[in-house]
Amino acid sequence: MDIQNLTIKKFHEGLVNKEFTAFEVVEDFYKNIDKKDKEIGAYLSLQKDAALKQAELVDAAVAKGENVGALAGVPLAIKDNMLIEGAPATAGSKILENYKATYDATVIAKLKKAGAIFLGKTNMDEFAMGSSTENSAFQKTKNPCDLSRVPGGSSGGSAAAVAAHMALGALGSDTGGSIRQPAAFCGVVGLKPTYGAVSRYGLIAMASSLDQIGPLAHTVEDAAEIFNIIKGKDHYDATSVAFENKELSLSEMKNKVVGLPSEYFIEGLEPEVKTQVDEAIAKIKSLGLKIKPISLPHTKYALSVYYIIMPAEVSSNLARFDGIRYSPVNGVPRGVHSLAELYKKNRSVGFGAESKRRIILGTFVLSSGYYDAYYAKAQKVRALIKQDFNEAFKDVDIILTPVTPTRAFKFGEKTDDPLAMYLSDIFTIPANLAGLPAISIPVRSSMSLVASTPSLPVGFQLIGKHFHENDILSLGQMYERM
Amino acid sequence: MPEINKKTLEHLADLARLELIEVEKEKFQKDLGNILNYFEELNALDIAKVVPMTGGTSLKNVFREDGDTVPFDGIDKLKEAFPESEHGRLKIPPVF
Repeated sequence: MDIQNLTIKKFHEGLVNKEFTAFEVVEDFYKNIDKKDKEIGAYLSLQKDAALKQAELVDAAVAKGENVGALAGVPLAIKDNMLIEGAPATAGSKILENYKATYDATVIAKLKKAGAIFLGKTNMDEFAMGSSTENSAFQKTKNPCDLSRVPGGSSGGSAAAVAAHMALGALGSDTGGSIRQPAAFCGVVGLKPTYGAVSRYGLIAMASSLDQIGPLAHTVEDAAEIFNIIKGKDHYDATSVAFENKELSLSEMKNKVVGLPSEYFIEGLEPEVKTQVDEAIAKIKSLGLKIKPISLPHTKYALSVYYIIMPAEVSSNLARFDGIRYSPVNGVPRGVHSLAELYKKNRSVGFGAESKRRIILGTFVLSSGYYDAYYAKAQKVRALIKQDFNEAFKDVDIILTPVTPTRAFKFGEKTDDPLAMYLSDIFTIPANLAGLPAISIPVRSSMSLVASTPSLPVGFQLIGKHFHENDILSLGQMYERM
Repeated sequence: MPEINKKTLEHLADLARLELIEVEKEKFQKDLGNILNYFEELNALDIAKVVPMTGGTSLKNVFREDGDTVPFDGIDKLKEAFPESEHGRLKIPPVF
């Protein structure tokens, strides 16, 4: 079974045509994990027994001639900040080192119902804070395209698992780019849905006004299949919304206008990134779509706005982790004399440096005397950034930008200067602030490349109007079919 | 040039129930100083009349009457998940 060329679509065809069983394919993926993951480090834990049991159920249904959906038997990797009942959920942090989830996230329940299979939980920056997965408390994940380089973050484990054929698809979460940036760095597709399109119930919260769960996969077509299962209104997430949209035909797509915001095509772009994104623009133009220059004037303020609002929400969301709830913390000295002291000891041992930095920054911007100068100000500028997009979307339907200013960087390159690390998210952050759907697509598909001299991948980003995932998914699928 | 002085940093750490060692305090002062400096660019904007965005959604909150609740059936699972317990009571280190 050649899993190197498999997609979710091809898997489903093979499964229903009885060319192979789900059990065989899942075993092949575990063989590949055994072979490669010691080096790559994508997974924090594996759930092999449950996966094989689920595969048997799918195979039984196929053997009986029952109709099985597009995701039945599909082996997925799940980022370790999403809850699967009975499985660990560490969020990449020592403070949850011994935590096992007591319920399923809504996206997990939906995928289970669709017959999907969870191979294991993937590595991530601690509490999703980071752009390289170097902030994981447990291990490094290496970029399968170049093992001396980072896979991106915070969903680095998920991106690497898909890129290295250790899963057929994955779930990640994206608050400031954490699906799209690792997808771009590893050469896979990554979609951040519209805020509210996918339920956050069972996702360990980072910044509640920005977080979204989304798929990573080899193709846009595959990502769309996963998205269609996980999306929808959920009783347990009051910010979730029901919506429907249809895939667009080529003739409908040709009438769409694509905008290129000048603020994203700037001096700091690595030359190879610029070259390849220009290539993507030319290909889309050749599909017949009109390309138009636009301006999103408040783009440069997005980083500041994000690094005020997000840490504020983080400081609130991480207040619950005290080393008593969820999981005890290993290595905390005994002989404590007050509850406050116990909390301080547990939290100081349990949290890593970046988590502490952002908690303190968040506490600062919310504190009396500073709230107006920072948090209140950031909320206003966030409104201006959203307004920029609303204005632009009067003239264009889809916005195209680079995903990252550079390709995957080397380990340790940005770990000394937090600000340098933060700058790798400048192109992804605005879509989170405005709540818009955005997808990262590899300019050159690794599946169609002749891998003689594999080079570092480059991704391009399509941003759509609120709840218009169909626009960006349809255009993405047309692009990859060229 | 905005900065967080040592006393403020210690106060913030206390509020956040964190205990920082000296080396961490020095690094954080430096890092946070750089970050706050970066935020100065926001002062260039005239935002007096801008309506702030207070969350991620434009949905309005909808209320219901008390009483119409879905019962929570996870109590036993939560108790089982707790690392140490005795006679149904959850055990934690002494804090008095």
